[in-house]
Amino acid sequence: MLIPLQVLWAKVPQRHANANSIVAILPIAVAALPIYYFRTRTPQIDFRVGALLIAGSVVGAYLGARLLKQIPERQLKLIVMVVLGVIGIKELLIP
Amino acid sequence: MSWRDVILVLGGFAAGFLSGTIGIGGGALFVPTMTIGIGLPQPVAQGTSLVAIVPTSLVSSVTHFWHRNVQPEAAFWMGGGGVVGAVLGALVAVEVPGPILARVWGGFLLFTAYRIGAQAFRQPSQKVG
Repeated sequence: MLIPLQVLWAKVPQRHANANSIVAILPIAVAALPIYYFRTRTPQIDFRVGALLIAGSVVGAYLGARLLKQIPERQLKLIVMVVLGVIGIKELLIP
Repeated sequence: MSWRDVILVLGGFAAGFLSGTIGIGGGALFVPTMTIGIGLPQPVAQGTSLVAIVPTSLVSSVTHFWHRNVQPEAAFWMGGGGVVGAVLGALVAVEVPGPILARVWGGFLLFTAYRIGAQAFRQPSQKVG
């Protein structure tokens, strides 16, 4: 939602839009987590699984963020198009 | 370390990498890694995904600030608006069946992919800015 808002309507370059988006997601996730945790009587969270995901994801996030500056704007848009397209098709077919 | 653990670390790496480059939270990959990869129930996968998104987006954000990719004012306003939107969205979401929400979201993503792709095809190749 945050990426098209910037790229299509505010004409923000793709590189800044991607970086701004992930920075904006941080407070949203921090706000959503306690709501999700305390809303249910038994919190639906597997912390061991979460720790293993995080072990991989923080390395991937660091490398991905470092790589962003190296990718030309047009190629970056094409990558975003493919990733959003694949996720969109998945949500339509397997909701 | 079992194969189950390896799938989680690799799936986490892929989700983190997309978070760093594309700017998505990572949930789109975290959740299928847990449900399809190791057979975790959907509600547990969604809750666990939220836990994983926080440190992932924190590492992406710090690295992006370091590399001057971030426009702080835009990120600040989107983040602030997003917190309000997330709470309002959650109130609406509980009233709408999950599959309908997912399909509306999927349609929106496909439309966005088409519009961003159209921009890319109109744009000549250029050096990194």
